[in-house]
Amino acid sequence: MDVQEIIRQQVTGYPVVLYMKGSPKFPQCGFSANAARILNALGVTEYFSVDVLQKPEIRQGIKDYANWPTIPQLYIHGEFIGGSDIMTEMYQSGELQKLLKA
Amino acid sequence: MVTPESIEHSIEQGMNTVYLSVDGDGRHFEAVVVSGEFAGKSRVQRHQRVYQTLGERMREEVHALSIKTYTPQEWESRRKS
Repeated sequence: MDVQEIIRQQVTGYPVVLYMKGSPKFPQCGFSANAARILNALGVTEYFSVDVLQKPEIRQGIKDYANWPTIPQLYIHGEFIGGSDIMTEMYQSGELQKLLKA
Repeated sequence: MVTPESIEHSIEQGMNTVYLSVDGDGRHFEAVVVSGEFAGKSRVQRHQRVYQTLGERMREEVHALSIKTYTPQEWESRRKS
Protein backbone atom coordinates (compact mmCIF):
# COMPACT_ATOMS: atom_id res chain seq x y z
CA MET A 1 0.00 0.00 0.00
CA ASP A 2 1.43 3.37 -0.87
CA VAL A 3 1.75 6.26 1.54
CA GLN A 4 -1.08 8.29 0.07
CA GLU A 5 -3.43 5.35 0.54
CA ILE A 6 -2.27 4.83 4.14
CA ILE A 7 -2.94 8.50 4.86
CA ARG A 8 -6.34 8.35 3.19
CA GLN A 9 -7.30 5.40 5.37
CA GLN A 10 -6.08 7.14 8.51
CA VAL A 11 -7.95 10.40 7.93
CA THR A 12 -11.16 8.65 6.96
CA GLY A 13 -10.85 5.92 9.58
CA TYR A 14 -10.90 8.24 12.58
CA PRO A 15 -13.11 11.28 13.27
CA VAL A 16 -10.18 13.46 14.33
CA VAL A 17 -6.61 12.96 13.17
CA LEU A 18 -3.60 15.13 14.01
CA TYR A 19 -0.28 14.78 12.23
CA MET A 20 2.32 16.29 14.47
CA LYS A 21 5.94 16.32 15.58
CA GLY A 22 6.11 14.34 18.80
CA SER A 23 3.11 13.09 20.74
CA PRO A 24 0.23 15.04 22.31
CA LYS A 25 1.90 14.58 25.70
CA PHE A 26 5.39 15.32 24.44
CA PRO A 27 5.18 17.57 21.40
CA GLN A 28 8.52 18.27 19.75
CA CYS A 29 7.71 21.62 18.17
CA GLY A 30 5.87 24.76 19.23
CA PHE A 31 3.28 24.58 16.47
CA SER A 32 2.47 20.94 17.22
CA ALA A 33 2.25 21.80 20.91
CA ASN A 34 -0.23 24.55 20.09
CA ALA A 35 -2.37 22.19 18.00
CA ALA A 36 -2.49 19.58 20.77
CA ARG A 37 -3.24 22.27 23.35
CA ILE A 38 -6.24 23.50 21.34
CA LEU A 39 -7.71 20.00 21.00
CA ASN A 40 -7.18 19.47 24.70
CA ALA A 41 -8.87 22.78 25.53
CA LEU A 42 -11.85 21.69 23.45
CA GLY A 43 -12.12 18.47 25.40
CA VAL A 44 -11.00 16.31 22.48
CA THR A 45 -9.06 13.62 24.26
CA GLU A 46 -9.62 10.67 21.95
CA TYR A 47 -8.03 11.43 18.67
CA PHE A 48 -5.65 9.64 16.37
CA SER A 49 -2.25 11.29 16.35
CA VAL A 50 0.66 10.45 14.11
CA ASP A 51 4.19 11.41 15.13
CA VAL A 52 5.79 12.22 11.79
CA LEU A 53 9.25 12.26 13.35
CA GLN A 54 8.84 8.49 13.79
CA LYS A 55 7.44 8.05 10.28
CA PRO A 56 9.59 9.75 7.66
CA GLU A 57 7.46 8.45 4.77
CA ILE A 58 4.32 9.94 6.31
CA ARG A 59 6.14 13.18 7.05
CA GLN A 60 6.81 13.61 3.35
CA GLY A 61 3.57 12.05 2.15
CA ILE A 62 1.28 14.20 4.25
CA LYS A 63 2.70 17.35 2.69
CA ASP A 64 1.69 16.09 -0.73
CA TYR A 65 -1.64 14.72 0.46
CA ALA A 66 -3.05 18.12 1.41
CA ASN A 67 -0.74 20.24 -0.74
CA TRP A 68 0.41 21.74 2.54
CA PRO A 69 4.12 22.02 3.28
CA THR A 70 4.02 22.19 7.07
CA ILE A 71 3.16 20.15 10.15
CA PRO A 72 0.93 19.95 12.22
CA GLN A 73 -2.08 19.12 10.08
CA LEU A 74 -5.56 18.56 11.45
CA TYR A 75 -8.21 16.41 9.77
CA ILE A 76 -11.83 16.14 10.87
CA HIS A 77 -14.00 13.47 9.24
CA GLY A 78 -11.44 13.07 6.48
CA GLU A 79 -11.30 16.75 5.62
CA PHE A 80 -8.14 18.77 5.93
CA ILE A 81 -8.86 21.66 8.29
CA GLY A 82 -5.50 23.41 8.51
CA GLY A 83 -2.33 23.86 10.48
CA SER A 84 -1.55 25.59 13.75
CA ASP A 85 -2.44 29.15 12.63
CA ILE A 86 -5.79 28.14 11.16
CA MET A 87 -6.61 26.01 14.18
CA THR A 88 -5.93 29.02 16.41
CA GLU A 89 -8.14 31.31 14.33
CA MET A 90 -10.96 28.76 14.21
CA TYR A 91 -10.65 28.05 17.90
CA GLN A 92 -10.91 31.75 18.72
CA SER A 93 -13.89 32.24 16.43
CA GLY A 94 -15.72 29.16 17.73
CA GLU A 95 -15.73 27.44 14.31
CA LEU A 96 -13.56 24.55 15.44
CA GLN A 97 -15.92 23.74 18.31
CA LYS A 98 -18.81 23.55 15.83
CA LEU A 99 -16.92 21.31 13.44
CA LEU A 100 -15.99 18.92 16.21
CA LYS A 101 -19.55 18.63 17.43
CA ALA A 102 -20.90 17.86 13.97
CA MET B 1 20.46 32.07 7.12
CA VAL B 2 16.95 32.91 6.03
CA THR B 3 16.03 36.54 6.61
CA PRO B 4 12.54 38.02 6.97
CA GLU B 5 13.40 40.26 4.02
CA SER B 6 14.04 37.30 1.73
CA ILE B 7 10.70 35.74 2.68
CA GLU B 8 8.99 39.07 2.13
CA HIS B 9 10.66 39.29 -1.26
CA SER B 10 9.43 35.85 -2.32
CA ILE B 11 5.85 36.60 -1.30
CA GLU B 12 5.94 40.03 -2.93
CA GLN B 13 7.21 38.55 -6.19
CA GLY B 14 4.70 35.75 -6.20
CA MET B 15 1.41 37.49 -5.54
CA ASN B 16 -0.34 40.83 -5.34
CA THR B 17 -0.29 42.28 -1.87
CA VAL B 18 -1.61 45.56 -0.51
CA TYR B 19 0.20 45.14 2.76
CA LEU B 20 2.91 42.71 3.74
CA SER B 21 5.12 42.34 6.76
CA VAL B 22 7.43 39.54 7.82
CA ASP B 23 9.17 39.38 11.17
CA GLY B 24 11.47 36.68 12.38
CA ASP B 25 14.68 35.64 14.01
CA GLY B 26 16.07 33.35 11.33
CA ARG B 27 14.23 30.30 12.65
CA HIS B 28 10.69 31.41 13.35
CA PHE B 29 8.84 33.84 11.14
CA GLU B 30 5.52 35.61 11.23
CA ALA B 31 3.93 36.99 8.10
CA VAL B 32 0.94 39.26 7.76
CA VAL B 33 -0.37 39.24 4.21
CA VAL B 34 -3.15 41.47 2.94
CA SER B 35 -4.29 40.73 -0.58
CA GLY B 36 -7.33 41.10 -2.78
CA GLU B 37 -6.57 37.60 -4.06
CA PHE B 38 -7.90 36.18 -0.79
CA ALA B 39 -11.47 37.33 -1.39
CA GLY B 40 -13.87 34.39 -1.47
CA LYS B 41 -11.10 31.95 -0.57
CA SER B 42 -11.04 29.58 2.41
CA ARG B 43 -8.33 29.86 5.04
CA VAL B 44 -6.64 26.78 3.65
CA GLN B 45 -6.66 28.19 0.11
CA ARG B 46 -5.24 31.49 1.34
CA HIS B 47 -2.34 29.83 3.12
CA GLN B 48 -1.73 27.57 0.13
CA ARG B 49 -1.47 30.68 -2.03
CA VAL B 50 1.20 32.15 0.25
CA TYR B 51 3.06 28.82 0.47
CA GLN B 52 2.99 28.67 -3.31
CA THR B 53 5.02 31.90 -3.55
CA LEU B 54 7.68 30.31 -1.36
CA GLY B 55 7.68 27.06 -3.32
CA GLU B 56 10.56 24.75 -2.50
CA ARG B 57 11.85 27.18 0.10
CA MET B 58 9.04 25.97 2.37
CA ARG B 59 10.36 22.43 2.22
CA GLU B 60 14.01 23.23 2.51
CA GLU B 61 14.74 26.50 4.26
CA VAL B 62 11.71 27.79 6.08
CA HIS B 63 10.66 25.52 8.90
CA ALA B 64 8.50 27.73 11.03
CA LEU B 65 6.35 30.33 9.36
CA SER B 66 3.20 31.61 10.95
CA ILE B 67 0.81 33.33 8.53
CA LYS B 68 -2.10 35.69 8.99
CA THR B 69 -4.15 36.47 5.91
CA TYR B 70 -6.62 39.27 5.30
CA THR B 71 -8.49 40.73 2.37
CA PRO B 72 -8.17 44.54 2.12
CA GLN B 73 -11.71 44.83 3.54
CA GLU B 74 -10.95 42.54 6.48
CA TRP B 75 -7.77 44.47 7.12
CA GLU B 76 -9.65 47.81 7.10
CA SER B 77 -12.32 46.65 9.54
CA ARG B 78 -9.65 45.13 11.76
CA ARG B 79 -7.82 48.45 11.95
CA LYS B 80 -11.00 50.27 12.86
CA SER B 81 -12.01 47.85 15.61
